[in-house]
Amino acid sequence: MAKAAPRFTPGFRSRWTFAVLLCSAYALGVTNDLHTPARVEAGEAFSIPPEGSGQATFYLIGPDHVVKRTVELNSPIQVHAADVEAAGSYTAMLCRTECSVSRFDVRASHPALLSFFLHPSRVPVSTPGSIDATAFVFDRYWNLVAEPSAVDFRITPANGAEATKQLVSHNGIAWMRMDSGAHEGPVRVTATLGGAEEPRVIQQVAAEACGLRIKALPKGNSVTLESDPVKDCSGNPLPDGTIVSFTKFDAGGKSTVDVPIKKGIARTELSLKGPARISVACGVVLGNELAVNGRL
Amino acid sequence: MKPMCRILARIVSVWLLASSLINSGYAQSLPQVHLDADGLAPRPIERLTGQTITRHYALAWQEMGQALSANLSNGLGDEFTGLAKERLTKRISEQVAAGIHVRIIDHGHTVKALFYSTDGTAMQLVDLVQLEIQILSGDQLLSTDTSAHRYMVLMTPGADRWYVRDLEEVPAEKP
Repeated sequence: MAKAAPRFTPGFRSRWTFAVLLCSAYALGVTNDLHTPARVEAGEAFSIPPEGSGQATFYLIGPDHVVKRTVELNSPIQVHAADVEAAGSYTAMLCRTECSVSRFDVRASHPALLSFFLHPSRVPVSTPGSIDATAFVFDRYWNLVAEPSAVDFRITPANGAEATKQLVSHNGIAWMRMDSGAHEGPVRVTATLGGAEEPRVIQQVAAEACGLRIKALPKGNSVTLESDPVKDCSGNPLPDGTIVSFTKFDAGGKSTVDVPIKKGIARTELSLKGPARISVACGVVLGNELAVNGRL
Repeated sequence: MKPMCRILARIVSVWLLASSLINSGYAQSLPQVHLDADGLAPRPIERLTGQTITRHYALAWQEMGQALSANLSNGLGDEFTGLAKERLTKRISEQVAAGIHVRIIDHGHTVKALFYSTDGTAMQLVDLVQLEIQILSGDQLLSTDTSAHRYMVLMTPGADRWYVRDLEEVPAEKP
């Protein structure tokens, strides 16, 4: 009578797998009887209970720190606050002839520091959604704090009332978008979190020109062109140096002169060949058109 | 019979060569990174930016793996900056002092983009990765662990690339 061949049932296979893993672990000399807390707060000292007697080598391996020291096994192993400042996963090992291994997480401590970005550095007045404020929330060891934290944004314009907006961080980030004000000048935006304050200053500048007008003063074969004070729609004067373009069409063809604003006004002189049409522009804004020498 | 033996010998030698290459430097080949940027706020990601981030994040992990294995930090500046670079550099110098090194076997990253600032100066990612981490003292394996890891990542753009500015492991169950 023939014997039945041994069968590798799923249970049989899993027992073999377990046995192989156990043997592998034994061969590596790795056990898991080192007792660390499952979770620690950054910068929080703790101790690992004693186990046995004699001496062993203790290793602690973290994101930015590695400890190796000889320890006495009959007293608790002290893990100092400075050993666990960086958030992340840590491996603790106690090695004699074999190593006991334990892994634990260090989580960020309480929110204490801010990294704050305000963009852009210059912004035109009265522009919706033109200012972005982004704050990153860190603990005192510069670990990003993923838990929600309240961040206050205090907006202080040079002229006008102060405003405050509170946001709750998500995954360590609080951000908002806001409109620029109607008046030019510096605006201070301060992000605050507990005792931490991060101020940034943004410069609000005049927006595009509004109601751009020029007048012409003919003199012989030339004409002097002068703009009215160049302002935006909120009445803020455009800064000196802003370019105003005068374009002339006459018998000599088309020519354009770019003139910087000086003391709020753009002024230039053009020579003419017969009747001419003259137009003005500043950025994307067109001004009035003039006819010189009686022809439009 | 002899030609068969020659063919067999060639196959074996090619296999040995390939396996030795894999075991030496090529094990630190570029890890796979899959980036999901659907619904990214407050700014959507441009296709080219997504490709650049994916490439440089993979390069960062390759660089970190090589640095932790060889205990050399001089190449970290290519892909890391700020706090991430400082922390890795410090760790490597302390690994040297402790006489250990760490080998990372990277099984690929599933990366979700969480935040992209409107001015394009910062992107936050969460990375779920399966890693085998071996801690060695010389040639002696002290510990090995294969498990899923979750990282919060902050990347910022430089002149020609995106740098990893912050890389923090967070418990897997909660970002």
